[in-house]
Amino acid sequence: MWWLVPILALFLGILAGQHAGIQVPAEMVKYLSIAILAALDSVMGGVRSLLERTFNSTIMLSGFFANALLAALLAYMGDRLGVDLYYAAVFVFGVRLFDNLSKIRHFIINFFRNRKIRRASDWDGSPAVKGSAPSREEVL
Amino acid sequence: MLRQSLRSVFTLTLICFMIGGLFALYLRYAPSSQSQTNALSQRMDNLVSTINNLEQEIAAYEGIVQTSRDELAGLENQAQTEWLRKLQEELHGAKLRAGLTPVTGPGIVITLDDNVVGQKADPNGDPNAYIIHYEDLLAIVSELKTGGAEAIAINEQRLITTSELRCVGNVILVNTTRIAPPFVIHAIGDPSILADMVTYGRLDPLITEGFPVSVSEDQALILPAYKGELQFKYTTFS
Repeated sequence: MWWLVPILALFLGILAGQHAGIQVPAEMVKYLSIAILAALDSVMGGVRSLLERTFNSTIMLSGFFANALLAALLAYMGDRLGVDLYYAAVFVFGVRLFDNLSKIRHFIINFFRNRKIRRASDWDGSPAVKGSAPSREEVL
Repeated sequence: MLRQSLRSVFTLTLICFMIGGLFALYLRYAPSSQSQTNALSQRMDNLVSTINNLEQEIAAYEGIVQTSRDELAGLENQAQTEWLRKLQEELHGAKLRAGLTPVTGPGIVITLDDNVVGQKADPNGDPNAYIIHYEDLLAIVSELKTGGAEAIAINEQRLITTSELRCVGNVILVNTTRIAPPFVIHAIGDPSILADMVTYGRLDPLITEGFPVSVSEDQALILPAYKGELQFKYTTFS
């Protein structure tokens, strides 16, 4: 159930954002959206590394801030230079986002499949190994 | 292991919280960010809402003026002595002439509308040729006055001594109130003279051009009172 905590935090964040007295300037909205995309990518990467047990808080946090800020900064630079780097960022983070999502999906499917197999093998074992279920001898 | 996962969950929680905040900030701006691409239309929207608010305010104030007038009328009618009664009659006569009371009497009703049929038949033509202009209304009002009209109202806006008839963009203002087609002009006076004045006057070319125009006589028209205030700050008896 640990995964409920981040989801709860997401909604809390939305609430906090709605009630915070910060108004984003109109020109910054575009960069804010690309920063959100980068941040989402970071979260998906974090969930994936968590499932793969390669999670590192420092890498995760630094990646979150660096990706979001750099994406926004690059998009801004692109606007100044007249090159639409915005779309490059959208493309890169979009591709990575879907890649991470598919890896997470694979992992979850494998997880459940393995558990099913494990359960099935548990049922095959003739005398109860776990001890919770009464053994044949006890019943008789 | 447990410590590691606790820490990772905490990190994820922190990041999810920040994403939520960013997302909310973005969403709060999103509705206006669409029209932000068209600054002009946003400005127009603002102006339209300003106009609507002001019109609501005007309506509220008109209600206040009306209630004060009713109160005043109640006070005026209390008077019983002969002298006061005479004054009252004078006041009523003055109000009648000033257009501050609803009035009734015989007269005509003129209905005018834009020539929608003609415009559809001629989609490439000048659209100005198919709409009623404020000059038309102005001419009709002048003709009615020449024909001895004693009270005139356009779309329930009573014309009084300070009333204007003005063209603002594509709307017409009467008593600083927007009026839109179809235009209904009520005029109290000798019905046959008034009808002749307008049908042989300004309505003649309009009818020829195919505008939907109708003139009907009525023995008991009811015209509303002027809704605005009427104050003379600069004018005194000479």
